[in-house]
Amino acid sequence: MSTVVSVQNLRKRYRRRDPWAVDDVTFELDAGQAFGLLGPNGAGKTSVVKMIAGLIRPDSGTISLFGSNPGNPAARAELGLAPEDPDFPKFLRAPEVLDYFASLLGLDDEERKRRIPETLEFAGLETEHRQIRQFSKGMKQRLGIAQAILGRPKLLILDEPTADLDPIGRRDVRALIERLKQSGVAILLNSHLLSEVERVCDNVAILARGRVLKEGTMSEVVPEGSNLEEVFVQLVEANQPQRDHMPSFISERQ
Amino acid sequence: MNGALAVSRYTLVEISRRRLLLVFFVIGAVGIGGLGIVLKAFTSAFVPGGSGGPGYQGPTPAQWEKLTELQFVTNLIGALGVFALLIAFAIGMTAIYHDLESGAAVAIFSKPVSRFAFTVGKVLAAAVAMIAIVGLLSLEARLVMFLFGGGLEAALWFETLAGVANAAALMLLVLALSAWMNNIVAAVVAFIYNGVAGVVTALHQQLVSGSFGDNQVLHTGLNIAYWLVPHPLVSSAPREIVRQEFEIFAASQPPDAPPVDQIVSSIPGPSSATDILWWVFVVCVLFAILYFAVRRRQV
Repeated sequence: MSTVVSVQNLRKRYRRRDPWAVDDVTFELDAGQAFGLLGPNGAGKTSVVKMIAGLIRPDSGTISLFGSNPGNPAARAELGLAPEDPDFPKFLRAPEVLDYFASLLGLDDEERKRRIPETLEFAGLETEHRQIRQFSKGMKQRLGIAQAILGRPKLLILDEPTADLDPIGRRDVRALIERLKQSGVAILLNSHLLSEVERVCDNVAILARGRVLKEGTMSEVVPEGSNLEEVFVQLVEANQPQRDHMPSFISERQ
Repeated sequence: MNGALAVSRYTLVEISRRRLLLVFFVIGAVGIGGLGIVLKAFTSAFVPGGSGGPGYQGPTPAQWEKLTELQFVTNLIGALGVFALLIAFAIGMTAIYHDLESGAAVAIFSKPVSRFAFTVGKVLAAAVAMIAIVGLLSLEARLVMFLFGGGLEAALWFETLAGVANAAALMLLVLALSAWMNNIVAAVVAFIYNGVAGVVTALHQQLVSGSFGDNQVLHTGLNIAYWLVPHPLVSSAPREIVRQEFEIFAASQPPDAPPVDQIVSSIPGPSSATDILWWVFVVCVLFAILYFAVRRRQV
């Protein structure tokens, strides 16, 4: 299988005095594979995703996206990114946003006429005529996924794709991932919903404080008789200072 | 190129839906129309209809009409300048800032579009929007001028061009600053810059007209300041208006009155080719600053 994205010894920090947000991260993702990037808040998952999408520059290490540097616009032609907490030009409407992005993707008129209504229908936004500024977070998330699949990408990056979705939306996203995998699309999934990751991903990497704690196929990472959540909690807690979980006043009698 | 056009097209759609711009446009349109109608009504009601009696050397009714027209054009130039600046600020503060600050830039920059194309598209849309709005206000002004029988076509045409050019440079400055800092801070900085540029231009004009005498240090200092601080372009309209006003009252001037050329020399004269080249250079530098900010921006 051909490698879609290859990340080697990636390091990134946002200010010189800050700790590394991403520290020596290495992994590869092949066509038709679903890769889960897991970690607690602030582990560096979104930073990795943004570097792969060419949105931020690594301090060191290399990224190969379809064999090119992601800073090169042509390398992003077959990339679909559904960002965490997505937003769009706020005075546009959903079909206009998709038409805008279809233009950026270089789709011709015929393809736009075919794909935009179908994508809007998939996202459940076909009857929505309000401007983006009037959208709920869930609607923006649906539109975020819609614009990511519009160009029929060969790599789809989903950063917390179901965080603001209702159960039906989550089911649709799960079905979408399965369908795309079958058609050879590589999926990079950032999610806190470990049961979801366990269901759809072939490989996982667990990050904490920017470093990869464990990486491999699902069966390599999750031993028999255990589950991903247990492995995740054990690994992460062993790598960060123990916290006193509950504020003392919670248990006081009223 | 397609990317730039797509960015430009949908930025224009966004700009056209911003209520603040619509409000500025409506106030401008009503203001210009109202100004013309009020001046016309004033002329009809109060300007003397006769010759003024034996020995009267003041303006004739036709000259009063002309004077009112010049008054209208003077006010119009001021009003158009103010509205062009307001529109420049309104577009400059929002056209790029909101995309960069919201998550919109994440979705846009993950598409196969270069940051150069994005910047070109944004600037193109901002320029087209401003030219369209100021152009419509100018068109209305020309229609109102028919109330006075028309005239001063060339002067108004060049004044509109100079106004748009100055507002475009200021808009680009606000755009460039808003890619580096908060858009309100950017607008305040640009406002202060605009004031400084105006003062430098006015002082330089006084220097050119000889008001500061032969002080060589002042001469050199103001000349350096004039060519360091990007200064606004000026058309021939301000001088032309004063000249025509002076000519209306020429008959009633005392014999020892200073000649018209001396009077108009204290008013900023039309920008030279060097001034226009300097404006082009400044616009290129501001675009480069904007592009550099967008390019290094990590979203």
